Amino acid sequence: MREKWVKSIIVLSLLSIFSVTSVWAETVSVGHLADFTGPTGGVGAHYGPGVMDALNYVNQNGGINGKQIKFETVDYSYKADRAVATYKKWKSGLKPIVIQGWGTADTEALVKFIARDKVTYMSASYSGHLTDPTGKSSRTKNKAPYNFFYGPSYSDGCRGLVQWAMDDWKAKGNTGQPKFAHMGDNHPYPNAPKEACGAYAKELGFEILPAIVYSMKPADAKAQCLSLKDSAADYAYLGNTSGSNISLVKSCNTVGVTTQFLANIWGWDENGINAAQDAGDGVAWVVGGTPWNAGASANPVMKAISDVSAKSPDQYRGLHYVRGVCSTMFMVDAMKMADKKGELNGTGIKNALESMKEYVPEGLEGICLPSTWTHEDHRGTTLVSVYKSTYNGGDFKMEKQATVEVPRRPEWLGW
Amino acid sequence: MSLGSSMRPCGDFRTSYASDTTIFATPVTRYLVIALIIGLLFVPLIGNPYLLNLMIQIGYYGIAALGLNLVVGFTGQISLGHSAFFGFGAFASAWLNNSLGVPVFFAIPLAGCLTMLVGLLVGIPAGRIKGLYLAIATLASQFIFEDFFARADWFTGGSSGAMAEYLTVFGFSFDTDQTYFYIVLFYVVLMFTFTSNLIRSRDGRALVAVRDHYLSAEIMGINLTWYRIMSFGLSALYAGIGGALFGHYLGFVSTEGFTIILSIQFLAMIIIGGLGSIYGTLLGTIFMVLLPELMEWGVHLTSGVFPDIVQSLAYIKEMAIGLAIILFLIFEPEGLAHSWKRIKAYWKLYPFSY
Repeated sequence: MREKWVKSIIVLSLLSIFSVTSVWAETVSVGHLADFTGPTGGVGAHYGPGVMDALNYVNQNGGINGKQIKFETVDYSYKADRAVATYKKWKSGLKPIVIQGWGTADTEALVKFIARDKVTYMSASYSGHLTDPTGKSSRTKNKAPYNFFYGPSYSDGCRGLVQWAMDDWKAKGNTGQPKFAHMGDNHPYPNAPKEACGAYAKELGFEILPAIVYSMKPADAKAQCLSLKDSAADYAYLGNTSGSNISLVKSCNTVGVTTQFLANIWGWDENGINAAQDAGDGVAWVVGGTPWNAGASANPVMKAISDVSAKSPDQYRGLHYVRGVCSTMFMVDAMKMADKKGELNGTGIKNALESMKEYVPEGLEGICLPSTWTHEDHRGTTLVSVYKSTYNGGDFKMEKQATVEVPRRPEWLGW
Repeated sequence: MSLGSSMRPCGDFRTSYASDTTIFATPVTRYLVIALIIGLLFVPLIGNPYLLNLMIQIGYYGIAALGLNLVVGFTGQISLGHSAFFGFGAFASAWLNNSLGVPVFFAIPLAGCLTMLVGLLVGIPAGRIKGLYLAIATLASQFIFEDFFARADWFTGGSSGAMAEYLTVFGFSFDTDQTYFYIVLFYVVLMFTFTSNLIRSRDGRALVAVRDHYLSAEIMGINLTWYRIMSFGLSALYAGIGGALFGHYLGFVSTEGFTIILSIQFLAMIIIGGLGSIYGTLLGTIFMVLLPELMEWGVHLTSGVFPDIVQSLAYIKEMAIGLAIILFLIFEPEGLAHSWKRIKAYWKLYPFSY
């Protein structure tokens, strides 16, 4: 028995030595913050593997012009302070030049740190506050020169949704002033588009109702649904992630709410449709990439990335996975560009991203949204694809309603 | 303390109050502790950043845990809201610095004092209620503060949190782990020395009397209400200073960090370290800070054999904390301090361990 232990210890230590020596070749460090176990774990469990698969795929296919990517995935459970602590730890160990980050609270908390240390940060938070790199907008609290994200900002997404809602209101032959309510937890992520979107909705002619707070952790939300019903809102923006929205939509169905829900980019997905079933029919939401069955699975690069961790050859990948891959591949292409210029560092990657014009990562044409970043404007795109879902006994449908072009107003920068 | 548990030589009995209340039982232990502190001064020069980061964590958590040990271990009260004080200290220090322009150097002790006032307030129920009821009262304060942190925009920055500047003295910024280590070390030495002396004082003995038998203590003329409330105030002072150190170390204070989980972790630190033991508090804190790191290390070592295990790291860390508390409650309820005493006694009496 004892010999067995000794043997297994020797084997383990040999394995660890091997794993250390195998990364001796020239490498480039990337940090990856993910949430698998926190309140946004429901969507993080799809997005995170997208990032990891894409990075592994790049490593298997030549890396960054021959340099292997050394990355570390840390599950920080959606706690801003844990993210900051991880960043500090990385600064002394991994020393990443670019980070694939996650939520709004931690991204906004890290803005100052990464700007000081010149580390490029691609977040999965699309907060409008991150779009002003120079701080020239009067609404900007902290300028965010090193922050990027892929897709329309939360504010622009919500603006797109209310614009669509107004068209929908008119198309249905309604008259009078439609009522709009913002819903979400008291947390930086749902709060991010609250004022910006409310202001635009008002401009479009909506009556703005008081905001309703519901928990980011899935919980019974009948009380909130009853206030929504009492307020007779015609349209309600859902600011939380899909896990929380499933319970909200179900609760609201129980109490007989007829409001048209407008969910943010993280607020609705295949999981939501399957879990909420009929209660989730007709939720309109923002989609930031081509869904798996609408073309993503047919793309050879996307398929190869998915196969890195696929458990079966025809494994279905969710909307968030596709966006995780897109965000990572934008970063990878920027790293390659920076490397060619001989400046593979945070600033080099920032400059490469800012040189992109209507750019799509190599091999992912038609899957990822064309994005443009400039030195003064980090709104990658303002095109908002609005989808609606229907659940017919498991064979759900996600139908594109419109692509709304939200005006790129200068005064909306950083808001 | 039993006589056999210290390194006191045979036949050396305490013959005066002074020798009975000495902090260090023998000159040797005193010199060892001083040598240890001097040795720690050199750690930033040779230690790697990872080690420094762990030691700084041990420092600020240790100070806060010591405060909790004053309430729970020495005064025999129960507090489930310690992380709220820790958070209040962190926000108060950031707020003093950001809004009122108080230099961080002064903001840290001031934040401790502000937190003490809050602790005195929260401690008022402790003057009247005991046991489970007090546990619920402190639990309530925990949730009240969590809600307060999320809503008080003027104080905490609301849900977005607050930035905390680095400590700067005469233009020298303590913005690296190497330099900040000294600040934390200073506060650790200060607070632990202060506590050691407090426990020797009239007030300290009163706290212990309240714990051991409150009725006898009252008959002896100890004002129960006063000392119970004071113990809460004192514990909040420690938590506030610990929290302020934490805030200025991270540079950012978020409303999400100060949940009931952290309060339980503080309790775990003092249970594992030893209730009513000053150096035990430090041992328990070291254990609790190193445990998740040890888990991470173990997981990465075995990840070659079980690749999927990395995904469950977060769960493994949380479970290990729970498991450690249960195991300690069963096998070593008096904590690491007691284990240490036993180890010392074993070597002192060797080979006649009875």
